[in-house]
Amino acid sequence: MSVTLERPVAAQPEEPPRRLGPVERLTSTDHKNIGILYCVTAFGFFLVGGALAGLMRVELAEPARQVVSTQAYNTMFTIHGTVMIFLFVAPFGIGLANYLIPLQIGAPDMAFPRLNLTSYWFFAGAGLLILLSGVASTGGGAAMGWYAYTPLSEMRYSPGVGVDLWILGIALVAISNVMGGVNILTTVFLMRAPGMTMWRLPIFTWNMVVTAILGLVAFPPAVAAFALLFIDRRLGGHAFDPLGGGDPALYQHLFWFLGHPEVYILILPFFGIITEVIPVFSRKPLFGYLGLVLATIAIGALSMGVWAHHMFTTGVVNNPFFSAMSLLIAVPTGVKFFAWTGTMWKGKISFTVPMLFALGFLLNFLIGGVTGVMLASAPIDFHMNDSYFVVAHFHYTIMGGSVFAIFAGIYFWFPKMTGAMLRERLGRVVAVLLFVGFNLTFWPQFVLGLRGFPRRYVSYPPDIGFDTPNLVSTFGYFVMFAGVVLFLADVAVSLRRRVPAGDDPWGGNSLEWVTSSPPPDHNFDALRPIRSERPAFDLRHPELAP
Amino acid sequence: MRRAGRRAAPATLVLLGTACSGSFGMPRGATEQGADIFRLWQIFFIAAIPVAGVVYGLILWSVIRYRRRRSDDPDALGSQFRGNHRLELAYMGIPILIVIGLFAASAAVEVRVDAVSSDPDVTVNVEAFQWGWGFTYPGEGVTIVSPPSGEFVAGPQMVLPLGQTTRIVLTANDVIHAFWVPDFLYKHDAIPGRTFVFDLTPTRTGTFYGECAEFCGLNHAYMTFSVRVVPPAEFATWLVLLRAGQAAA
Repeated sequence: MSVTLERPVAAQPEEPPRRLGPVERLTSTDHKNIGILYCVTAFGFFLVGGALAGLMRVELAEPARQVVSTQAYNTMFTIHGTVMIFLFVAPFGIGLANYLIPLQIGAPDMAFPRLNLTSYWFFAGAGLLILLSGVASTGGGAAMGWYAYTPLSEMRYSPGVGVDLWILGIALVAISNVMGGVNILTTVFLMRAPGMTMWRLPIFTWNMVVTAILGLVAFPPAVAAFALLFIDRRLGGHAFDPLGGGDPALYQHLFWFLGHPEVYILILPFFGIITEVIPVFSRKPLFGYLGLVLATIAIGALSMGVWAHHMFTTGVVNNPFFSAMSLLIAVPTGVKFFAWTGTMWKGKISFTVPMLFALGFLLNFLIGGVTGVMLASAPIDFHMNDSYFVVAHFHYTIMGGSVFAIFAGIYFWFPKMTGAMLRERLGRVVAVLLFVGFNLTFWPQFVLGLRGFPRRYVSYPPDIGFDTPNLVSTFGYFVMFAGVVLFLADVAVSLRRRVPAGDDPWGGNSLEWVTSSPPPDHNFDALRPIRSERPAFDLRHPELAP
Repeated sequence: MRRAGRRAAPATLVLLGTACSGSFGMPRGATEQGADIFRLWQIFFIAAIPVAGVVYGLILWSVIRYRRRRSDDPDALGSQFRGNHRLELAYMGIPILIVIGLFAASAAVEVRVDAVSSDPDVTVNVEAFQWGWGFTYPGEGVTIVSPPSGEFVAGPQMVLPLGQTTRIVLTANDVIHAFWVPDFLYKHDAIPGRTFVFDLTPTRTGTFYGECAEFCGLNHAYMTFSVRVVPPAEFATWLVLLRAGQAAA
């Protein structure tokens, strides 16, 4: 990469970019290719997890059991949770990071391209193992819930081979995440273009740095927990088996020491997307850049000390400590909300599809945050824990939050990745359907939880207040379903009948918008020294550049 | 502006009054401990209303007020300021004060809910197993156990005297379960190898639905039970009759 004072002249393909052959696609170590592989594979898992959710919603639409067997239902919620968390949301973040980080920091590729491809293959292989774990028929699929609490997940109570496949799959995902994290950190710390100081990094990249650190700290203990569980199951160990002197609470500690930072691994990248989208469509610089970065770091730090708020009802942890830490984490999250609002304040806001999804994110995530504060209180959690209130809460953060941000990101960067725009009008319909459908699905689940409906119930007795909210919730699912179908149609149409995007369809801020769409293999022909956190804007408006 | 404020004040008071007596979807708690948790829920909910209101208000106001209009130049920029230190300190500081207040309220309630009487009026040993419950009244020599089932049936019923302190001694003998009576706003995990003790002081008569709240395998959803709260005299009669019945059997 050379540095000159010229405006970058990226090769501008006249025709649609050359299509990679399937073998090339699956083996190229180019970060953009791997990023797209990650995102497409992860989205495929979203469709699988979503289909499982649909079956569960149909089952719960009416009180008695109708559609699936109890065993099948238990497997479905196990696989649904695992797939959405470990195979969709987290890898989608890694995929975007792969695609965007080198572009945003002005680098030609990730630091370790082959490690990068390896981590993709670990993830894809792990995904297959986890899907297999649900259908493995000898002794039944994995049906112990995605947190696999012992002793239920021990051999005595879950003899099927499904649990073993599940353990191997999750361990591989963990290893893949560690590889991805190492790669992201090395790339950001060592490969930034001249002038791209840490305090000028685009917020998406900053958030991925914190996410990568969280992964490096949280995944190894989880691998240890899963290894011990495997030893218990197959090699006669007793680490978590009370009959052999083991301790089920130890498993919970190790699991949630992964599980809670994981929650932030599932949200920080998507806070990053929102923070990229809002300034662009408000035509303003970010409000309080430094505060936002510090808030991200604070969230990362605090998230290492909140794990036992999943264990308030176990009676074996210091509830007030974990309650205080969990309440505190609302403060940096609030800072982010005010920074986003401050960015829109006095802007010139245009309501493109990415911006609509970003607004949906703000409206949904706030509810997720406020209910999170309620759940951080141990006595309130004595009622709410393991109820649908919790289910609704985390879907408001992960689905209403992260997934809405994912859609914002797809509509925002699809033109960069493919050189073609997605359809604006169709996209607006998708956004409205998903927003309405999402709220119809999950708002009633708050009501269900307050009334005492526990999660992971295949059916419920009629006439004790569970019927109507469940029916509405199932209806909402189908509204979302229509939205996702339309979205897939949008992608298909847009790829076939291309509307060329040009280098910078949105008036972007970060460096990916100064190169062609899609970018050439080496990303940039030349770069100006970077002077602020929005170098692309500085090039368009030299009169305003610092 | 000022006149609107004067008119809004009584309306706000009425709203607040309604809010303070509102249950916000939560059962009111049929035990002393549950009522305490219910009041804490009210505090959290009422605190959430202005916070969410302010944030939603600011977002919607910014979006509507600063939308790009048709008449605007499509390339027009918003104002290019990058922050405001005073505002930033305020929106960091105020939430800290709010969560300190919430924490104090929550910690105080937890101390009361966790308190166990040294001299309870009744003790019930609750044993959770796949997939049912055993309720034993140790001093009285009576036991009520779940019938085995993979369907919703009337589960075992625990009977408690109104207004008296009951000590629950909770154990599990296979996997982890959780004892949850939604109307008491309380649940506790039952972990094999450990014994947990907590108190319930019922304040209302009636029959309350109970369930297992920690996923425990195949028939988890059918692991239901009920708690019937009766006046103390009726409780004593019930015990005598049950003891006689169990002795005869």
